[in-house]
Parts: sequence; structure tokens; C-alpha cells
Amino acid sequence: MVPRSAAERSASIGQDALAYADTLFNLARYLTGNSADAEDLVQETYARAMRGAGQFEPGTNLKAWLFRILRNTWLSLARRRRIDPTVGGLDTVAPPVSPPAKVAALRDDAELDCLRKLVAEDIERALMRLTEDARTIVLLDLEGLTEGEVAAVVGCAVGTVKSRLARARQALRQLLQDYAR
Amino acid sequence: MNGSAMDCSEARLHLLDDQRGRLDVALADPLAAHLADCAACARDDLAERLLTEQLERRLPQHAAPLALKRRLAAEWAAPAPTARPVPARIRRAAVLAAVGLVALVSAMAVAVWVGRPPAADRVVAEAVTDHLRLLTRADALDVRSGDVHQLRPWLTSRLDFAPVIPFAGDAEFPLRGGTTEYFLDRRAAAAVYGRRLHAITLLVVGRIDDLAWPAPGRPLTTNVRGFNVRLWQAGGLGYALVSDVDGAELAQLAARLGG
Repeated sequence: MVPRSAAERSASIGQDALAYADTLFNLARYLTGNSADAEDLVQETYARAMRGAGQFEPGTNLKAWLFRILRNTWLSLARRRRIDPTVGGLDTVAPPVSPPAKVAALRDDAELDCLRKLVAEDIERALMRLTEDARTIVLLDLEGLTEGEVAAVVGCAVGTVKSRLARARQALRQLLQDYAR
Repeated sequence: MNGSAMDCSEARLHLLDDQRGRLDVALADPLAAHLADCAACARDDLAERLLTEQLERRLPQHAAPLALKRRLAAEWAAPAPTARPVPARIRRAAVLAAVGLVALVSAMAVAVWVGRPPAADRVVAEAVTDHLRLLTRADALDVRSGDVHQLRPWLTSRLDFAPVIPFAGDAEFPLRGGTTEYFLDRRAAAAVYGRRLHAITLLVVGRIDDLAWPAPGRPLTTNVRGFNVRLWQAGGLGYALVSDVDGAELAQLAARLGG
């Protein structure tokens, strides 16, 4: 039976939605950079999800829907605090033209070596240096969301997710190399 | 670029699709040919794989504090908020009323349920519920080991049947551990595999003659509320595999498990 009222719909997805608290908190933590703000963000996300439960389409990805609410909530909060989380960072710059093959080979071998030696702290610091947009796309990809779902969360065309993700990861690799030096 | 049909910039755009198993079939051969010819792109492919592996293994995962989880659970159980703030006294009463209502509805459901063999959708729903229960429990895994030879004896000593865990895990689907879990009215074995940051639960149920489990050799694949589920039967045991990973990935693990 399909729940009719918003309250019934809210109750029907409640348990499933709560199962994503850790996943949502993790993204919130990487967006806000601290636990206190992440808690507020997740709490506000669930409050909005509860109010908007009637808009959730059964059979679609609940996790992706919650991520979208969390991201929109974060953008609202950031606007209120006059932070612009979407500009700056290495990933907003077009990737450099490929260097000559010999130079590229030496650089890439060194990169592979440093990628193998990474520690958690380096990865976290490098990720935090990406723009909010790039960080979100990298994390959503790790969460296993499809390109269509990522596009819905960050509010862009499906076709641009692929290039934005590639650019974000390229920037992350560049930062990680810097940390390894 | 070494003369193959795909150039370097296009190849690099498709590397992740290839690694995630979602590359367009028509692009598979041109990409493979390009990677075979172009050492720079082949290295880039390796670097991308290493980056994913390191992100999955080493990026710190921040879990929600328990206090936040409790707050969220209490708020979701209460009625939807209205424009005017509700006094705490009334909110507490509403929570109690909601809990009472849930208990009443559950009791009625149990009363209706008793004596009737569960249909396949009930079996699927229970598998998803068990998976969610394991996800939400902080101490979900009693055995935190990727060694199936350690897990299986532990499970056997706590169940009235000997569960068979047909796959010991590998780099793509590492075995994280296991525990026992109630499946409807009986205890089942639960093994948890990983896939990137996701958990995949395998439930092994010993007594299934009174449940609507798919017949041997006729596995059932379905999707419930965004969770992919596969049920099958082997050696008289019922198997349920549940996760939010996509259907293709779940099918890969099911194949390793013989389901």
C-alpha cells in the first residue's frame, strides 16, 4: 500500500533514512570541516527531509535524495554565513596540457610511488583543499552514486559530471604529490 | 596518442567508467587498445586505481555521534514539525503516543501474521531490515575478521545449523566479519563483505521449508526501497544478499558465492 499523507510517507522512510546518518555525517564533516557544524547540518538535513518526505519518489535512491537535501542545506547555510564554497581551488583550473612523454613518464612514476605511500592525514588534508564542489563529487563517487545521481545532488547536467570528477581527481592527485614531497 | 582510434584526452575521461564497470560496451575495445599502445595513459589508469584504493582504505570516515543519532531517531518518531514551535512537554507526550501507536500496529501485524507462511516479498523485506539493523548497530560484527575459517566455527557454535559461507572474500569484496541475526523468528548467520565504502550483507538461514524462498537453481533478484536483494537456495540453506551497491556489483558477488 502506498502511504498517502506526508506524515505516512515520512514514517515509511524514517527507518531507512536514519540508516544513512553516518554516511551523511561523513559528507557533512568534509563539507564543513568540523564536527559541530556537521552535526547542525545533518540535523537540519533530516528536519528538511522529514518535512519534504512527500516529495520522495518510492523506488528511487533514498541516499541520493538525502545527499541532495544535505548539499542544498549546506549551500543555504554557507550563503547565510557569506561563505562562497563553490569558487577557488585547483580543480577550477583547466588541467595542464600533457608534458612530453619522457617527462610525463618520470613524473608519473614518482606519482605512483607517492600514491602508494600516502597516510590518512595527507589524504584528508588534500581533499579539504579542493573546492566544496569537487570534494562533494569525489566523495559521492566513492559512495557509489551513479553519474545521474551525482548530477542531481550537485545540480549540474549528467554530461558534465564525468569531466568535473576527472578534473577533481586530477587536482587531488596533484595536491597529494605536493604533500608527499 | 599513438594512432589508435581513441585519443588520450578521451581515454582519460573514460578510465573511471572502466574501473567502475559502467563503461559503454562500444568503448571497451577502443579504450583497451589505447591503453595497450599508450604508456602515459596506462600509467594514468594505474594512478587512478591507486587513488581510489587509497581513498577507500585510508580516507578517515567520520561517524555520526551517538547523541545525534538518538536525537534524529526521536525527532523522526515525533509528528512533522509545524510553523509554531511545540513545547517540550507536548513533544515528549507525542513521542510516547507515537511509540504506543507503533507498538499497537506491530502487535496487530504480528497477530495477523501468525500462522501464515511469509510470501517472497516478506522474505525480501526481512532481509533488507536485517541489513539495515546491522548497518545501524555500532557493534554489529561480533567477529571482525576476514578469515572465513575463523568466522564459520564461531557461527556454527551459536546456531542450530552449520552455515556455509561459500566465498572467503577478495580484494574487490573483502570479508569484514560476521555475526548472528534474527531472520523473522529464527537465528541466521550474517557475513558482511565490503565494496568500496559500502557494506554487503549475506544472510544464511538454516530452516526455510516454511518460507517462500526461491526454489534451488531459480534465484530471485529484486530492488526494494533502493536496496538490491538476491535470494537463492543451495544445500538446503537459504541465502539472501542485500546492499545499496548497484545491481551489477551485487551480481558479481553473488556469482562468487555461487548464487
